[in-house]
Amino acid sequence: MSINHKTFGVLAEFANPADLMDAAAEVRDAGFKHFDTYSPFPIHGMDDAMGLKPSKLGWIVLGHGILGLLGGIALQSWAMSIAYPMHISGKPFLNFPAFVPVGFALVILLAAFGTFMGLFFLCKLPRLHQPLFNSERIVKATDDGFFLCIEAADPAFSEKKTVEFLKKIGATEIEIIPE
Amino acid sequence: MSMDHHHTSLTDQLTFPEDNRIATAFFGAGFVGIALSLIGLFVNTEQFFFSYLTSFTFIASLVLGALFFVMLQHITRSGWSVVLRRIPETMSYQLLWLGVLFIPILFGMQFLYEWTRPELIATDELIQHKQPYLNIPFFVIRNVIYFAVWAFLAYKLYSNSVKMDRQANSDLDRQQRVISAPGILVFAFTVAFASFDWLMSMDSGWFSTMFPVYYFAMSVQTVLAVVVVLVIYLLRKGMLTNTINNAHLHDLGALLFGFTVFYAYIAFSQFLLIYYANFPKEILWFYYRFEGSWIFLAYLFLIGRFVLPFVLLLGKKAKTNHKLLFGVSLWIILLQFLELYWIVMPILHQGSITFHWLDLALLLAFFGISAGLFFRQFSRHSMVPKNDPLLAESLNKH
Repeated sequence: MSINHKTFGVLAEFANPADLMDAAAEVRDAGFKHFDTYSPFPIHGMDDAMGLKPSKLGWIVLGHGILGLLGGIALQSWAMSIAYPMHISGKPFLNFPAFVPVGFALVILLAAFGTFMGLFFLCKLPRLHQPLFNSERIVKATDDGFFLCIEAADPAFSEKKTVEFLKKIGATEIEIIPE
Repeated sequence: MSMDHHHTSLTDQLTFPEDNRIATAFFGAGFVGIALSLIGLFVNTEQFFFSYLTSFTFIASLVLGALFFVMLQHITRSGWSVVLRRIPETMSYQLLWLGVLFIPILFGMQFLYEWTRPELIATDELIQHKQPYLNIPFFVIRNVIYFAVWAFLAYKLYSNSVKMDRQANSDLDRQQRVISAPGILVFAFTVAFASFDWLMSMDSGWFSTMFPVYYFAMSVQTVLAVVVVLVIYLLRKGMLTNTINNAHLHDLGALLFGFTVFYAYIAFSQFLLIYYANFPKEILWFYYRFEGSWIFLAYLFLIGRFVLPFVLLLGKKAKTNHKLLFGVSLWIILLQFLELYWIVMPILHQGSITFHWLDLALLLAFFGISAGLFFRQFSRHSMVPKNDPLLAESLNKH
């Protein structure tokens, strides 16, 4: 049985949220792209510190919402005026005010599907293996640990230099995570 | 890039600059409006009272919406809004004398409210049945109660907040919540019945249980627009630039967006049920408001007050775009006036929009005086509740 020595990345622990945020800004300024931070709670301002772009999820949801609206109006127009035209209290067949509730409900339904599935897609879920769990220390990220991991997939990654860099910017513990 | 994690102290000048003449300008416009309105009172008395009611309910919706906003922040113990809370607080302070502005309406009741006319009371059986509620003494008593309750709430919340500017006081801070919790309940009932009395009873045969919610939803959407306009005005004039940041504006914009949807939902719900059931007594109210050119205003509200702000404010960036927010907010304030005009005027001018110069004269009078009073009161105290226990949290918002 061969042992895989490929490196997934370098995990660094920081003392507190403020240190982690400063470190994230340093890592961003050093030109790293493939890195992430892990903390027990959301840290306000971390998105900017990491240089994250706004999520694309909104656009996915918007697309689904518009699809729901058009689909709902089209379905009712077809059903009420072509397939099953019926007089209902003297109203016209194409009675748009009456189509609004169903159209609205379909916007909500498809937008909710879009949010759920879009998030799965953007987070690359479901994921069966996460190499970070090769570290025993990472479980502290759900309790009192503040971590930053630079991944080997990053073009600027070099194991030795990255470890030194993380030490320089104030990491308290450093660990190399195998794939 | 500086990473300022602990932005927790006020660094701005906290008093409104003395060389700012905006209050004087508004008072000037208001007095011109009053003079024109008084001329109009003798030229066309009936038109005067209809225009008066339109502008009165417009200003009332702004100051009542502001009171609701303040109470909501207290009962939810909101930290984010502390830096801008003095703006709606100062607006709601005008509830102290709003009742005085209601008095002229009592003299025009025979024009505005058909249920006060003796010849109709004698012949109209429906009005006879509604007499136990729709009679002048009870109308006056109800309105005295509304204005007394609102004046009490606004005065207490404002003066407690100003007292805390001198010295932090946890008892007063607690009192704000103790007043606001029952206050918001009493507010709901008084505003509901006020909207029945002021606007719905003009068409004495008509009733809609959705109407109070409709007036409330319109008011809250508009008051958020007013707060946005005032915040951006202050920032543009270089005031509170280190106190109010884009994160506060973003949340205001999100609330404005939310209440745009809420307003549309309520306005449409009221319309759809009445339209679909098509009962004569219910549908007539909409019949007169869709008749002739009045229908254009109805479409304007659908497009201008819902679709347009919805699309424009949907994105995250839009909510911190000062120019866009300012423009959309001014537009919503204008449409709030037009929508009240659309509710009130078809009773006087059936079949087509009939513009009268008194509409503008009374708007100028009410808006000028109200805005003037706002800026005068705003310049008397700190622009920020500077000892609020949640101020640090609000300043640190990002």
